[in-house]
Amino acid sequence: MLRSELLKITTTTAPKIALGVGAGGLILTQLMSVSVLPALASGRMGAVPAELRDAIPSLDLVTSSGQLAALSPLGASGGSGSLGIAVIAIVLMGVLAGTSDYRFGGIVSSFLAQPNRVRVLLAKAGATGVAGLVTGALFAVVSTATLLGTLWFLGIPVAIDPIVIAAVLSRSLLAIACLTIVGLAVGILARSQLAGVLIMLGVLLLELVVQSITQLIVGGMPVWAQLLPLALTNTVIGTGESELPLPAAVAALLGLTVVALALAATALRRRDV
Amino acid sequence: MSELVIETAGLRKEFRGRRGTRVAVHDLDLAVPAGGVHGFLGPNGSGKTTTIRMLLGLVAPDSGDALITDRPYSALGRPLQTIGTMLDAGGLHPGRTGRQHLLIAAAQAKVPAGRVDDVLTEVDMTQAADRSIAGYSLGMRQRVALAAALVASPNILVLDEPANGLDPAGMHWLRQRIRAFADAGGAVLLSSHVLSDVQQIADDIVVMQAGRVVADTPLADVLHEQGGDLERFYLELTNAPSGVR
Repeated sequence: MLRSELLKITTTTAPKIALGVGAGGLILTQLMSVSVLPALASGRMGAVPAELRDAIPSLDLVTSSGQLAALSPLGASGGSGSLGIAVIAIVLMGVLAGTSDYRFGGIVSSFLAQPNRVRVLLAKAGATGVAGLVTGALFAVVSTATLLGTLWFLGIPVAIDPIVIAAVLSRSLLAIACLTIVGLAVGILARSQLAGVLIMLGVLLLELVVQSITQLIVGGMPVWAQLLPLALTNTVIGTGESELPLPAAVAALLGLTVVALALAATALRRRDV
Repeated sequence: MSELVIETAGLRKEFRGRRGTRVAVHDLDLAVPAGGVHGFLGPNGSGKTTTIRMLLGLVAPDSGDALITDRPYSALGRPLQTIGTMLDAGGLHPGRTGRQHLLIAAAQAKVPAGRVDDVLTEVDMTQAADRSIAGYSLGMRQRVALAAALVASPNILVLDEPANGLDPAGMHWLRQRIRAFADAGGAVLLSSHVLSDVQQIADDIVVMQAGRVVADTPLADVLHEQGGDLERFYLELTNAPSGVR
């Protein structure tokens, strides 16, 4: 079943478009956040008066924390408080993997080939997870190449340990695969492409609103707010600040993925097709 | 009596909606023997498709049993090797090619990818196999759907309205394929509205009306009693004065 589900993903254009749009958007985001703004702020590019350079919102690439923030495969601006095109592409890829079978009737052939619907779901999750890993690897290459190229251009030495870089990129793959699978589960629950996309975007945008309001009211990020999907993903990637311990964030993200799959499995088992 | 390949006992399905409960299939007993073409007739909404979907485990019955070779569909070890199906539009994604669709079907059935070329030849679609399904005619789509049903070499076929939208040449081709399958020892459950087609290839017929079986008989007996007129027999049973052929 895994092979047939992989074939389903690789023989349709929607995942490729999501991947292309995500990669393109990430390249632009990284060039702007990691290359152009720091270069403008440092005076290596453009003609920004020295007294205005401090006002440019740029990463401090001299510090390890700045370089770490630039390394995120979700985009350097994809941390808490913003929603990058890479994240949108990742969840949409998952949603489309879950809904296209319903739209065109392929779910029937899956159930005929494997009457155990939980196994069908696991095969779909496996295939979507592989697609997420490939996407994450591509995004990781983009973010790493942009960072290293910019550091070379600005003459700044790399301030992050290679082991830390490897760990961030590995966790990024895990986080992106989990997000893609959550998107798949939402797609299966929603069945309709439009509904699935709207639900997923709504959840992510709502999280940003909730985080902003919470920060204004409480003055910080309570634990529950750090357990929301986007915040959790960024904590697992580990390129930003978070009070949540990394093992707890990894466990929570895996738990969220399992819960989403369990809900999808329950719906799938009960559903007449 | 020959072995039964499809059997239902007391099969019942109700659909609950805002306007109340509608019984789609009433305690249905059905027996389809091995070999031959078994016409499955009935007007729209008579319960044919719901029955087929319950047989295939796609719709859960409220009560009763549906068995394929003495087992529920879910208990078939490799179901696609036992029974091939052609439902709706065959689940064809317009963005794929016919070959890609069949490669997926082969992977689902756990048969070698080389089998795809065989079934493409069987349905005369080799030339168009690498074209996008979006550009296929309805007849070409039906051929690919039939190829997918045949990819695991099953000995039972369940076809739900396979002639829908086919032109006369396509219908002729389909009749030949179905008859050849049955003549080779296979059993075909053929749900259709096209009485003339069923009349030409079926060995026996089951007629459903309002969720119940109202006739289950060898076709030759019907034609003998009705002077060769299957349509009259059908219309009398289903109280359908028009809208059928």
